[in-house]
Amino acid sequence: MYLIEKNNVMKLAEELAKSYSLYGPVTDKETKQVFFNKVASASEISLTAEIPSIPPKTVVFPQIERILEYKYDKGSKKVEMNADFDTSSKALFGIRPCDLTGILVLDRFFMGLEFVDDVYLEHRKRMFIVSNTCTVPFKQCFCVCTDSGPVAEEGYDLNLTDLGDVYLVEAGSDKGREFAEKMGLQKAGPEHTLEKKNAVDKSISLFEKLATDNKAWISRVMNRVTTGFIKEEVWEHIGKQCFECGACTFVCPTCSCFNVEDHNKFSGSTDRLRTWDSCSFEGYTKMAGDHNPRHPVEDRRNKRFFCKLSYSQSKKYLRPGCVGCGRCQWVCPGDIGLPNVVTYIRREITE
Amino acid sequence: MDYKSGVCNFCGTGCGNYLNIQDGKVSGVFSSRNHPVSKGRLCVRGWHFHELLMTDHRISSPMIKVDGNFKNVSYDEAISFMMEKMAKYSSDASESTAFLASPRSSNENNYLFAKLARSVFKTNNITLDSESGHRSSMNVLGEGAGFPGMTGSLEDISKTKFILIVGSDITKMNPIIGSEIHKAQMAGTKVVTISSRVTQIARLSNVHLQIKPGSKRSLLAALAKAVIDTDQLDTDFVTASTDGYDGFASSVNRFNMADVLSLTGIDSDTIKQIAGELCSAESAMAFWSTGISGLDQDTVSYIYNLLLFAGKIGKENCGANPITGICNLQGGYDMGTAPDLLTGFQKLSDADAAAKFEKSWGVKLNKDSGKDLYKMLADKNSKLKCLVAADHDEGIIKYSKEIEALEFVVYFGTFENPFMKFADVVFPIAGVIEDEGTYTNTERRVQLSRKRVEPFENVMPGWKLFPMIAAKASLTWKYSSAEDVFKEITSLTPSYSGMTYEKIEKSFGLQWPCNDKYPEGCKRLDGASIGRKFKFAPVTENFTIHSATADYPILLIASQGQHFWHQNNIMKKTYIPKREYNATLLVYPKGYIEICKEDADKLQVREHWNVKIVSSHGSMIVAVKISEDVKAGTAYVPYFIREMISSFLLEHNQEFDKGEDTIIPIRIERI
Ligand code: SF4
Ligand code: SF4
Ligand code: SF4
Repeated sequence: MYLIEKNNVMKLAEELAKSYSLYGPVTDKETKQVFFNKVASASEISLTAEIPSIPPKTVVFPQIERILEYKYDKGSKKVEMNADFDTSSKALFGIRPCDLTGILVLDRFFMGLEFVDDVYLEHRKRMFIVSNTCTVPFKQCFCVCTDSGPVAEEGYDLNLTDLGDVYLVEAGSDKGREFAEKMGLQKAGPEHTLEKKNAVDKSISLFEKLATDNKAWISRVMNRVTTGFIKEEVWEHIGKQCFECGACTFVCPTCSCFNVEDHNKFSGSTDRLRTWDSCSFEGYTKMAGDHNPRHPVEDRRNKRFFCKLSYSQSKKYLRPGCVGCGRCQWVCPGDIGLPNVVTYIRREITE
Repeated sequence: MDYKSGVCNFCGTGCGNYLNIQDGKVSGVFSSRNHPVSKGRLCVRGWHFHELLMTDHRISSPMIKVDGNFKNVSYDEAISFMMEKMAKYSSDASESTAFLASPRSSNENNYLFAKLARSVFKTNNITLDSESGHRSSMNVLGEGAGFPGMTGSLEDISKTKFILIVGSDITKMNPIIGSEIHKAQMAGTKVVTISSRVTQIARLSNVHLQIKPGSKRSLLAALAKAVIDTDQLDTDFVTASTDGYDGFASSVNRFNMADVLSLTGIDSDTIKQIAGELCSAESAMAFWSTGISGLDQDTVSYIYNLLLFAGKIGKENCGANPITGICNLQGGYDMGTAPDLLTGFQKLSDADAAAKFEKSWGVKLNKDSGKDLYKMLADKNSKLKCLVAADHDEGIIKYSKEIEALEFVVYFGTFENPFMKFADVVFPIAGVIEDEGTYTNTERRVQLSRKRVEPFENVMPGWKLFPMIAAKASLTWKYSSAEDVFKEITSLTPSYSGMTYEKIEKSFGLQWPCNDKYPEGCKRLDGASIGRKFKFAPVTENFTIHSATADYPILLIASQGQHFWHQNNIMKKTYIPKREYNATLLVYPKGYIEICKEDADKLQVREHWNVKIVSSHGSMIVAVKISEDVKAGTAYVPYFIREMISSFLLEHNQEFDKGEDTIIPIRIERI
């Protein structure tokens, strides 16, 4: 454990920028919206900005990404292939605990199951992660219910916690420790551990009532979802509000549905692209051979919540699929962000 | 940072977005949290805007047709070719030449397109495509309230107390407006939907009046009648602020309440109750779709008049709100792409307005209103020979035989599309985000879409291309950017006069009128300031509806779906929406007809079985889809997938021109 003065903390980012492409939370000047994005200089990053509107999953799993380029020569009937994808080393600076957990879930999907995805692995291989404890939760957050915040437990190289004048810097890996040593950071003492604990406890006490109310409920709801004891009317009430926009999937730090498409270019060659997809789309399930269920929209909807809130899925990811970031709530044209769905099911259980 | 703010360019909602631009290329889209309309939301189309912007299905060079094949040529050659050919028609341009403008083009490009028609090619035959329904709405609101645009604001949806939706499948056509209405409903606003089919918004409403096909006008008349009968009229407002009450009241009084159930399928008690709630609500809005799937002028007049009865026009959180299906349908009219209009709904026949344009443009204008292109095409005796069209991005081309038979066709467009094959000359034009441009959404919000990438294969932006054509006719148009064009527009258009690019950009757009009186734009029509009384719109008393006969016992209705609304060619250039399109085709390769279980049992047909649909015009074979969304005696076909639209449906072109009220009496036969 180390300490760094607040006004020096960005020096860590500057140093990382020397050997990595640097990513972090950036506020758009005109509209004040926060993104997690690549920066040209460490000075663009803000550690106090609110939770980014777009999850950092875009770094490891971009909206559209080339995974291969090929050219077919009609004359010789030969295909020239070129596995050309992003191989840069990346540093994520100031990632929030929920979003870090999201990346760990994606790791399980892309690297932990039967196959290992090369393109994903390239993004992750040399990655350096600096997480940032949420000493104040944002309005939409409920990570306390999903065991993914407000402080990161694993997956980081360094973790920062704001202790007033200084940041506590914890190393979570050898790579992190070496970096901290190299930066010549001052050592922290046991009193700082206590200070951190107090900061986290304070943060937990500041969560919105809905989040703390739902804390115990999430596991009960998970039980219900897993055992299928939820009335059809509840799913109907949820399903009829789905506008089938896909937004909840796109903004979710743990959603990994994708589609592969060939993009024929004017130049004559073709890019094979991986694009985001969503279980809310009719075509997504139809392609999977799921013909014409009776309540198509409802079925697609409860599939998502099954994915986020059931034991069988949790076993796969070693944790619930939802990390409590609250993003799906504010992009949903219906009123069925995950916290609301928990509330609807809760209401049913209570009644 | 790679994210640059922008505007969604599909439908008339005008949601805010961010485009991810890396190395000069588009590689993603994200929603805009602080945008006043969309507040962090986008619909399925908006979430795939980047896929369209990435497509290489583009027109890359000017082309002329030689012996039936296109040949790439320089801009200069193409322009010379065009001018030479079109010289023939100049002596009677008002009969021989027509322009078809696009509700997808920016205001700047539409303005220049109309300027080209009127000042270079001397024709006023300018038609804005897919327009009929919107023009009817503009006529009603323009004449009635002096305000040819949505009188309310989308931001006020969350504050209004009562919402009436007439016919529109709004969660599919303009999903984010549908979302706003849904959220208002959840927060306590009463939402009533009138439609023949159970749509999503019908399910999300407090009340769904599932009327017989074609009976909207009767239902609206019944609501108005109920207002009178139950003494709920806002008499103070009607006396003090309106003209023409007697005319409308006498039409309405001719409606016989005893007929209402048989005409519409809704009983009079329900109607009285809804009428009462509309009148007593503190504020109310009505929504209807315009454009190709819109309502006819008579039905729009009934809606507007009903709101006047209830005193819900020109007041806070109220509004008569036509909804545009395409990004710049409102802007197209604002730019005067109509036979009889100059910009900002100034009339061509208004001598002062015309003089102002003559002075600015340095030409003499013909002040006689031009003709509507589609009427010319339908007219067997028309002398039309030459058509100049822009951005016609629809898969189904109305009157394609007639267009094919024209002598000379010019096409300006961004994407490759089916319209090109009719053309003799094709000009590529820089697309959205390859050029600056403003777009006016359904609530009159003029938004700026900035240039974010270089044009595909160096194709020219409109502000460069159109002046080159004018120059060949010895006219000097001096612009060095789209912004220069916008400055000219604002100098000639009172409702836009207070706008600049800078001001628009600072505020997520400005709602017209924006001028000395409303320097920050105008959120809603303010009744106190219009300087005259509201006029009731003239209406017919025709309440007859299509009725089923023994030969054709089922009424077929048609409408569009969300991914491919408007028979749209554009969606096929994306990945995910295209995949969704293909998914429907996978299950129903020839399209489907939706009927209820009861009718299916009666006909002894099952899901997926092919049946023959017979009308007085012909027949077609499609698969059956059994659905709870239609009532017995009613059937529905989606009118949006090219492959599903056999010539059978196209034969009913005239019927489809009626938009929402497209009804074809049919019978269904087992095969
Ligand atoms: S389900 Fe919603 S709240 Fe949970 S992690 Fe995904 S986006 Fe965040
Ligand atoms: S964000 Fe909401 S409306 Fe969109 S797909 Fe997800 S649940 Fe459906
Ligand atoms: S509602 Fe319209 S403007 Fe908004 S995202 Fe969808 S298509 Fe774009």
